[in-house]
Amino acid sequence: MSDDALLGHAATAAGQPDWRALARRTWRTRFSTQSLLLVFLVVVSVPIILPYFWMVVIAFTARTGGVASDVLWTACAIIVPTVLVYSIVHMTVASAGLRLVIGLALTAIAVGLLAALIGERLHLANFRFLTRADFVEELRSKATSGAQFPSVWRAFFNSLVLAVSQTVIILSVASLAGYYISRFAFRGRNGFLQGLLVLHAFPAMTLIIPIFLMLHWIGLLDTIVGVMLVLAAIELPFYVFVMKGFFDGVPWDIEMSAMTDGATRRQAFLLVVLPQVRVGLIAVAVFAFIRAWEEYIFVRTFLIENTNWVMSLYLFWVADDVMGVDYGIVAAVAVFYVLPSLLLYVFCQKYLTQMTIGGIKG
Amino acid sequence: MPDFARAQVRRQWTNFGLFLGPALVLLLVFFVAPVIIDVVLAFTDMGRTLALGKFTLENFERMFTRDTRLLGALGITFIFVVATLSVFNVTFALLLALVTTAVPRRLGAFFRAVWLLPRMSPSVVYALLWLWVIDPNERGLLNQIVIHVFDMPPIDLRNNHPLLVIILANGFIGASLGMLIFTSAIRSIPEHLFHAARVDGAGPLSIVRHVTLPALRWPISYMTIHQSLSLLVSFEYILLITGGGPFYDTTVFSLYAYRRAFETGEYAYGAALSLILVVIGVIAALALWRLMDMRRLLQPPRIEVH
Repeated sequence: MSDDALLGHAATAAGQPDWRALARRTWRTRFSTQSLLLVFLVVVSVPIILPYFWMVVIAFTARTGGVASDVLWTACAIIVPTVLVYSIVHMTVASAGLRLVIGLALTAIAVGLLAALIGERLHLANFRFLTRADFVEELRSKATSGAQFPSVWRAFFNSLVLAVSQTVIILSVASLAGYYISRFAFRGRNGFLQGLLVLHAFPAMTLIIPIFLMLHWIGLLDTIVGVMLVLAAIELPFYVFVMKGFFDGVPWDIEMSAMTDGATRRQAFLLVVLPQVRVGLIAVAVFAFIRAWEEYIFVRTFLIENTNWVMSLYLFWVADDVMGVDYGIVAAVAVFYVLPSLLLYVFCQKYLTQMTIGGIKG
Repeated sequence: MPDFARAQVRRQWTNFGLFLGPALVLLLVFFVAPVIIDVVLAFTDMGRTLALGKFTLENFERMFTRDTRLLGALGITFIFVVATLSVFNVTFALLLALVTTAVPRRLGAFFRAVWLLPRMSPSVVYALLWLWVIDPNERGLLNQIVIHVFDMPPIDLRNNHPLLVIILANGFIGASLGMLIFTSAIRSIPEHLFHAARVDGAGPLSIVRHVTLPALRWPISYMTIHQSLSLLVSFEYILLITGGGPFYDTTVFSLYAYRRAFETGEYAYGAALSLILVVIGVIAALALWRLMDMRRLLQPPRIEVH
């Protein structure tokens, strides 16, 4: 780079800037800073990607009593160079069609190598928990295993009920309240907003003891309904603000014209405004679902009977019981548990980012 | 009152009840009521039997005079919050936001998605990943690297440096929220300011120093206050990864209150501890608010930049 700089200066001194050299120099600096930044991002992201990959490898290769760490490193040794080669190709080859062809070829080579080197090590035995509930007793003698495990589908169903019903509660309550404080003038509006803000900032985790007692007194302890209502209430202030932000973005004129055309206020809300904030509704639904699906502390404290277990408790107790003996089955349960929220996250990511922006606006 | 006016008042009330009623009921029963119960509970002697005996100040007397673990828990909380906040939730989040907005858009989005992964995966799964990484025998992911790459004996982070583990585990999650907020703040800086700086001969670093960072002043202040509060009361990952141990080495204040209530059954004492924690949180938030001069955020801007 230094002789480029010299060239540039010399040329300027002569009164004829060497544009080519200058362009080359700029391109080179840009290229090197960009590569530096990318290297930084890759390096800091390895500690996140590698453990997830390790979990998947354990789930599909481990057998009782051991893990296959060589499989992990073999797979890395194939995948990392492939990605590297492709990123170089992506940066240097201009034609999109050629890039696609090279990409497909590289993928084919990598898959072929993986199949040849570690293909026979992969197995699905760790996923036997899906069909039989007695795998824990089978791994440990019946006397030592702590709890009788319910079927995984029971926990899956409970989780689904909890997450879906909490999402429905939050969606309906938050959009009603968000619309009201976005559109209506009422006495105590400022007070209500400030109170909501305080509740939003209030560390709800510190209320776990009084909530536990309250659920005990009203007979909702150890029920899914109790946990569902508590979770919905605690998360509600945040979602009300998010929905208010989305409603604020809908122009008044839309409702006005609906009401001029003879709709009542409630019809205008249901039929005209609500469809306008579809993106907000989807974002809130996805976020609320993922939050309820992953909840641990509250369900651990409020749910006791194993027929009420949700997936997080199921995974926790499986890990607690067989972690020392069999990593594979724990990893398989973890993969099974993480999959729904991960898929939702991947496919609804564009809605989620819009929610953050909407939330800040509100 | 004429009929139409009465009808209007009635409609206002039904609208109020219809739109705001559900939220009010839910919040009052499951959010406001527990706050009141907590305050009352802190002055009772409720134990394992869940029976109310008498009203007493004993919990607070015990807290301030006899509880020898409390000071340790406070110290651990302080180290945990300050270290996680300063290294990850603000500094590293800022770094990630700056770098992911400097690379091509789709690559930046990809790496932000990677960093959001821990926040989006269930906490039990995330904790399990950490347990597999720091596993003290040679099967642990970290030890596989330590043994085969650096040729060193296996290390046991969970027992020897438990505080480091919980700071890292919380920091990896904490960084993502700041990253998102800072990224959208950087995106909202008008493009022409960057062009102007570049025309004036600013390099990339001075653009960051003189254009980007000043625009991030309020998001950074907000994140500091918000995250210090949420770190102060969060113990989910600590409970899952170290269980507050070894012994009480990673038992932060909030986890201490939880353990008192649900491990030893001292519900009233736990409630009193939670009450103190809320007071600490409010004081910390107000102090940070003053320190960062957040009032100025609410004032109208002196120069309009659009």
